[in-house]
Amino acid sequence: MDELIYKLKQEIIEALNLEDMTPEDIDENASLFGEGLGLDSIDALELIVLMEKNYGIKLQDPNQGKEIFKSVKVMAEFIQKNRTK
Amino acid sequence: MMIQHRVYISTDKAIVDGKALELTEKGSALLTQIYRSHIGDYPKFFKMDTLCKLGFVASELLLNSEGERNFEPREDRAVILFNRNASLQADTNYQSTIQDSENFFPSPAAFVYTLPNIVTGEIAIRNKYYGETSFIVIEENDEKLMEQNLSVAFQDTDTQSIIGGWLDCTDEEHFEANIFIMEK
Repeated sequence: MDELIYKLKQEIIEALNLEDMTPEDIDENASLFGEGLGLDSIDALELIVLMEKNYGIKLQDPNQGKEIFKSVKVMAEFIQKNRTK
Repeated sequence: MMIQHRVYISTDKAIVDGKALELTEKGSALLTQIYRSHIGDYPKFFKMDTLCKLGFVASELLLNSEGERNFEPREDRAVILFNRNASLQADTNYQSTIQDSENFFPSPAAFVYTLPNIVTGEIAIRNKYYGETSFIVIEENDEKLMEQNLSVAFQDTDTQSIIGGWLDCTDEEHFEANIFIMEK
């Protein structure tokens, strides 16, 4: 799981152009939106694309994102459970 | 109508009111260098396409040359820019995400920049300008045509000044900004 969390952090930094940020800067339990990483609604859509592109997970209901994108750790757990590639 | 300040940026230089900035980078790296050395408090910069980055740093240099910034909301300033290539680079970038049917992942972040007037909105949002914003695509960098359009904008009684001028980009290595603040 630690390996997936680290890889996911790298993918998030690259996909969302989080310049000057390293995986070590991201707290795996911190909120991705609002107070945490401060991501916005377009970033949320990019995360949905990232999950489909890299892990073969297609979210049927975009509202699922609210739960899944709570933190990197929650996202990694969801990916580990549902990935098809 | 009178021009108060002017900023010129091309792929290897930036000039503010006739004075060249000391810069070492070229192309999009030049824009990042300007951002880091003269702006630096707007991380959204890194998510922008090249046209927006160009417009953002050019407008920041322009507004810094005007004096201390207060970011108070105002309705008397318009943002009216012109170019030839619309949002070509962003369009191409987005197309690359949907070109291959076997690898079809439309990028929302790329899609949001597929209109040239996004940059006028970015400048207005950053500075809390609630006046007119327009992006006009014309055949070539035609000062007379631009001036005609800007003079029409001044017929609106609210508009007292305009951030206007040329802002064109075809890719990360080819762009030009020649923008100014014009007072009524």
